[in-house]
Amino acid sequence: MGLAVDSASEVEESGYNRARRFTPMTSDIDLEMLMARYQQGDLAAANSLIRSVSPRLYRFFVIQFSSREHADDLLQELWLRIHKARHTYRPGEPVLPWLYAIARNIRVDHFRKSSRTTGHEQPLDETPEAETVAAKEPDRIPSLDVLLAPLPESQREVITMLKVEGMSLEEVARATSSSIGSVKQKAHRGYEKLRVRLTMLGLGKGPLGELP
Amino acid sequence: MNEKNMDEFLKQAAHNPEAVSPALLDRIAASLGNSMPAVRPLPSSWVLEIGIILIAVAIAIAGAAEAGFFGVLKLNSFERMLIFPALAILIFLAASAWVSENIPGSKRLFTPGMLLGVSIFGLLAIFGVLFRNYQTDRFLSAGLICLGFGLLHAIPTALLGWLVLRRGFAVNAVASGLVGGTLAGLAGVAMLELHCPNFQALHVLIWHTAVIPVSAAGGAVLAWVISRHPTSQPPN
Repeated sequence: MGLAVDSASEVEESGYNRARRFTPMTSDIDLEMLMARYQQGDLAAANSLIRSVSPRLYRFFVIQFSSREHADDLLQELWLRIHKARHTYRPGEPVLPWLYAIARNIRVDHFRKSSRTTGHEQPLDETPEAETVAAKEPDRIPSLDVLLAPLPESQREVITMLKVEGMSLEEVARATSSSIGSVKQKAHRGYEKLRVRLTMLGLGKGPLGELP
Repeated sequence: MNEKNMDEFLKQAAHNPEAVSPALLDRIAASLGNSMPAVRPLPSSWVLEIGIILIAVAIAIAGAAEAGFFGVLKLNSFERMLIFPALAILIFLAASAWVSENIPGSKRLFTPGMLLGVSIFGLLAIFGVLFRNYQTDRFLSAGLICLGFGLLHAIPTALLGWLVLRRGFAVNAVASGLVGGTLAGLAGVAMLELHCPNFQALHVLIWHTAVIPVSAAGGAVLAWVISRHPTSQPPN
């Protein structure tokens, strides 16, 4: 078990924590302050805000579309829309639900457009299946977009906001225009599916050690 | 595997080796930097809600004043005490929901469909309890006149309400249109209750209440059409 714990710590250091260190993480209060200054026309605040929250929003798009090319385009489009709608943020309100509500809107628009234009096409699957990743490198945890890919869109976005971004239930409910009960239900169902999937992939015995 | 393990697993999987490129962030910052005027944030939700409620009430009263307050004069005190407070509560809820639909990340008490359902079935229940005259004189012609009259008052309510909310940003235009249409329909029903002296149960149940779904559907369709227009953008 000691080995397992060491191994887990190593992965944590090389993975999530390192990502956190490289990604500018800003507290909610800082974000609110930056947003208020952005509304006042402060270019430096706008720059800081872009660099603080873009990695999160980018990851949101990557998880939803499993495509980094799409995520690049959508992130640019999102900031244009945020810029146009920046007056609709009210100082003192949480920033993340406001941002994610607009990001969801971009995602839905994009989905509608792409389903109209590519409705009859059979795109090649560019994303490696979690099964392939697990078979090739049993010690490596698949990336989040691969791991969550089989979940329905609504469960994927709720799990991303709740478990990865650390938003509260109420913030997720605001961002997704739904009730707290509905968010809980989607998260629970998503987690159940994910649990089965991880167990099937044998990832419970991964670098974290034997999971109960 | 328990939830704690799963949380930990997700955190590790969230490590994104292909992070957003600095060049992309520079491009975004440069594109926004071209126009960075200060903007005035939207007023508080309650200010917008009061504005919309006042519009709905004013149009209902003005319409009834023009056509005559025959309905409210014919109602007894008990009927007035049930119908008008119920309409006031529904108009308040609809105004609150409409404001929420136009501000991203707002707290929502009702989904648009739930609001529409509560409005229709709530009023049906009240009208069903109060009106027991099941005669049907001039059912179609009188009904169509009331439906048209209700919608005639719903349209300006929706337009003026939209003027109040025009600086908002509806993340779901169809939902916003549906809620706006529901509110406008409620204003139309309020006007009919003040004006229409026809208390035949089927007339009130069908034709008066029909103003709400027709108006809501109109609002949703109109919002859908506008949202598909490429130049539909929120003004700063």
